[in-house]
Amino acid sequence: MLIQLLTNKYPGMRLWLSQRLTAVVMAVYIVLLLVALLIIQPADYAAWHAFVSPIWFRLATLLFFMCLFMHAWLGVADVLKDYVFNKVLRAYLQMAVDVALMLYLFWIIYILWNV
Amino acid sequence: MAKQMKFSVYRYNPDVDKKPYMQDYDIALEDEDQMLLDALIRIKQHDDTLSLRKSCREGVCGSDSMNINGKNGLACITKLSDLEQPVVLRPMPGLPVIRDLVVDMTQFFEHYNSVKPYLINNDPLPETERLQSPADRAKLDGMYECILCGACTTSCPSFWWNPDKFVGPAGLMQANRFIMDSRDQATEERLENLEDPYRLYRCHNIMNCVEVCPKKLNPNAAIANIKDLKIERAKESTDNKPVKKLFGIKVL
Repeated sequence: MLIQLLTNKYPGMRLWLSQRLTAVVMAVYIVLLLVALLIIQPADYAAWHAFVSPIWFRLATLLFFMCLFMHAWLGVADVLKDYVFNKVLRAYLQMAVDVALMLYLFWIIYILWNV
Repeated sequence: MAKQMKFSVYRYNPDVDKKPYMQDYDIALEDEDQMLLDALIRIKQHDDTLSLRKSCREGVCGSDSMNINGKNGLACITKLSDLEQPVVLRPMPGLPVIRDLVVDMTQFFEHYNSVKPYLINNDPLPETERLQSPADRAKLDGMYECILCGACTTSCPSFWWNPDKFVGPAGLMQANRFIMDSRDQATEERLENLEDPYRLYRCHNIMNCVEVCPKKLNPNAAIANIKDLKIERAKESTDNKPVKKLFGIKVL
């Protein structure tokens, strides 16, 4: 199974594979979302509300955004590894990204459970 | 009939020059001067202070790799008729310049050595040679032809960014060449050797290596193959283990 590649034993593969797996999840979500929108075609506020209200939609959307943020985290970490060679500065930049992504995550949860 | 051709060549002699500079040459070429290396030798007849490496003059030794009009290549197999004038010649980027077009390739070869580019086989030596089926031998095609000129590695931005940590396309292709060799017994160690976030995974598929390789090889495919093999090995290793089940679902 791929799970063992995501452990500490594979420090390089873990990052590389996570980025690809999160990309797959996002691609699947987007396709499903487009198909669902084509079938249901919500026209007014009530229809949209009914579309986004079910728990499965909220959970799937939350999963999508979690994958998006993880994907972004890995990508930014890669860029920082390539361009920022001062370890202290890199740690601060990484922390800023971490904080921003965590805030986004809470914001998404707030939005999803307040519609 | 002599033909004039313009060149702009990177010059730097650390003993004399404070800074590198570009020197222009307007050289009369003879009919037999077909390749860029011929022109460089012609330039050297007029100005013997110009330094460059050369040896086999037929694209086999990899000595005269340089940056030609912005793209890495071998001077000896680059046709003069294909080049736009003035031909801008620089040393390969990303490595320290020793003088003019000569670069210090120590870092490049250190990475090459780090992948153990030789057969590791602990079986007793057979009387003649270690045999290989034609199919197994064919797996080395497209990799064993590498002449280690360094054109790919020095055109790779990932190598420019992390020259001390990222092995680079040439080294990684040689790693894959021995991983794929049916006679080699150290596949596991070789894969483990490349398992940190830098040595292999700094490759972002920029593809400059494929673009510049004078032997038309594909280091990017070799790098992708190493990643695929890591995944395959992980699958195989769990196939042999007893399956762990959680609530009747296969988890590991």
